[in-house]
Amino acid sequence: MTKIGRRDFVNYLLGFGGISAIAAIFYPIGRYLVPPPIREAEPTTLKVGSIDEFPANSSKIVRFGRKPVILIRDSGENIHALTATCTHLDCIVQFSEDRQQIICACHNGVYDLTGKNVSGPPPKPLTEFAVKVIDKEIVISQMKA
Amino acid sequence: MKSQLQLLKHLTALTIFMLTPYYLMGQDSSQSPGESQVNTCLECHEVLEVMPEGYSADDVHQAAATSCVGCHGGDATNYDMDESMSPAAGYIGIPSRQDIPKLCGRCHSHIDYMRTFRPRIATDQVDQYNQSIHGKKLAEGDQNVAECVSCHTSHAIFPADDPRSTTYAINIPNTCRQCHGNAELMDQYGLGHDQYDKYATSVHGKALLERKDTGVATCNDCHGNHGATPPDAESISNICGSCHLNNLTYFKQSQMAEDFDIHSCQECHGNHDIQPPTDQMLNTDSDTAICLTCHSVGDAGAATAFAMYRDIETVDSLYTLAQTKLKASQTSGMNYAEIDYQLQQTKQNLIQMRTLIHTFDTEEVKAKGADGIKTAKEAIHLAEMEIQEFQTRRVGYGLSTLAIVILAIAVFLKIRQRDEMLKQQ
Repeated sequence: MTKIGRRDFVNYLLGFGGISAIAAIFYPIGRYLVPPPIREAEPTTLKVGSIDEFPANSSKIVRFGRKPVILIRDSGENIHALTATCTHLDCIVQFSEDRQQIICACHNGVYDLTGKNVSGPPPKPLTEFAVKVIDKEIVISQMKA
Repeated sequence: MKSQLQLLKHLTALTIFMLTPYYLMGQDSSQSPGESQVNTCLECHEVLEVMPEGYSADDVHQAAATSCVGCHGGDATNYDMDESMSPAAGYIGIPSRQDIPKLCGRCHSHIDYMRTFRPRIATDQVDQYNQSIHGKKLAEGDQNVAECVSCHTSHAIFPADDPRSTTYAINIPNTCRQCHGNAELMDQYGLGHDQYDKYATSVHGKALLERKDTGVATCNDCHGNHGATPPDAESISNICGSCHLNNLTYFKQSQMAEDFDIHSCQECHGNHDIQPPTDQMLNTDSDTAICLTCHSVGDAGAATAFAMYRDIETVDSLYTLAQTKLKASQTSGMNYAEIDYQLQQTKQNLIQMRTLIHTFDTEEVKAKGADGIKTAKEAIHLAEMEIQEFQTRRVGYGLSTLAIVILAIAVFLKIRQRDEMLKQQ
C-alpha cells in the first residue's frame, strides 16, 4: 500500500477543497437558472386567453398569484376582472347571467359588475383588476392605488 | 289654595316671558325664513327643567322641524301656558297607547307628506302593525303589547340606519328584550323569555353583538318588524333561505322535503340558539348526530348521514394536514403561494360539501369530496417538496461551509509547506 506523504495530503486537501468551493459557488447559480418546480408568487400582470374564446355573457375563474379572479364578459361586451373571493366569509362568487350581477351563494351576497357590494352581508366591494385587450389577448393587471 | 296655584302659574309664565329673549339670542339663526323658530313647549320645558325622559335634541322629528304639537297637540306659538295647553288649542297631552299607531300614522301613512322628508321611506308601517300580533292585541285592548314608541322611543327617535337608534340592527335584540326578556310579562302570554340569551350565544348573535356584523340575521329579519308574527314551518325555510340560498335550494329539491313535507331548518339547527353547524351532527356513530333525533342506527337515513360525514371528514383531515404543512413552509421562508391557492380550493370544496349535504345525496357529496381530496393532496405534495427543498438547502449550506473551511485549511497548509521548502533551499 502506497503511503501518502504530507505534501500529497495537502495537495489532495487543496484539490478537494477547491473543487467543493467551486461547486458551492456554481450549484446555486445553476439552480437559479433552472425554473423552480413551484410557480413564483404574485405576478403583476397575467394573460388570461384570447377574447375570441371568451363569449359574451360568460365568466371564468382564473388564477392571479394566490388569488382566484373572476373574469366576466357581460352582455354589453365589457370585460371585468375582480377578486373571486367574497368579502363576507371568503366563498367563491359566481356571475349571474340573468341578473348581470355577481352573487355569492353562501349567504346571498350580491355585487354589481364593478365589484360594488349592493346587497346582502358582504361588508366591502370586490377588488377590481385592470383589463386590457392587446392583440386579441386579454391581459389583467393589478390596479395602482 | 286655588289662588296660590294661579299666582304660581302667572309667575312661571312671567319668568319664561322674561327669559325667552335671552334664550333665543343663543339660538342658531341659520334656519330658513319659512320655518317657524318658535317652539314655546320646548322653551318652557327647558327653562323649568321638566324635559321628557330620554329626550334627545337630535331626535329625527326635531331635526325635521316637527314640533311637539305634532304628537301632543296644543299651540307652540303661544307663551300662555293655559291657552297653549288647552283643549281649545287641540292639546291632547300624553296620547294613550291605543291611539299611538293611529297618531304616528297621521304622518307616516301619508305618502306625499313623508316623501318631503325621505323619498324612499315606507308608508305601510301602520297597516303592517295592525296585522301583527302586537297590533291585533292592542286593538283588543291589551295595554301590554308593543306599539310604536315601545320600540322607537318617544323623544329619541332616529332612522334605523343610525347607530343611536333603538332599531339599528345591533340594538334590535336589546329593544325586543325589553318586553320579551320580561318573565312576568311573557308568562301572561305563555311565551318564553330567554330568546335574547339564546340569541346572544348563537352564531348569529355572536356575529352581530360581538363582531358588530350588521349583515347577520337579527330578530326582525326572521319575525318582521312592524308586521311581527311568529313564523310557521314553511316560512322558516324561506326566511333562512333568504341568506342561506343554496342550502334552501338543495333542501327543497331533496327527498327529505318532498317525501316528508314536514321538515324546516329549525328541526336540525334550532331557532334562537342556532350554533355553528359541525360535521359531528352527521356522525351517526356518536351521540352528537342530530340525524338520530328521527333516524335510528342501521336505517337508510343514518347510513346516508354517516356516508356524508365520512367523506367530509376525509377531506377535512387532509385539509388540516395540508394547513400544518403550509405553516411549516411559511415558517421555513419558502414560497407557499401555490400551496395556499390549492388550499383555498380545498376550503371551497369543503364549504360546497357541507352545503350539498342538504341534498341528502351521498353521490353528490362524494363527487365534490373527490375534488377536495385532489386539491388537498396536491397542496400536501407541494408543501412536502418545499420542506424537502428547505432541508436540501440547509444541508447544502452546511456542506459548502465545510468545503470552504477545508479549502482555507488546505491553502494555509500549502503556504506553510511552501515556506518550509523555501527555508530548506
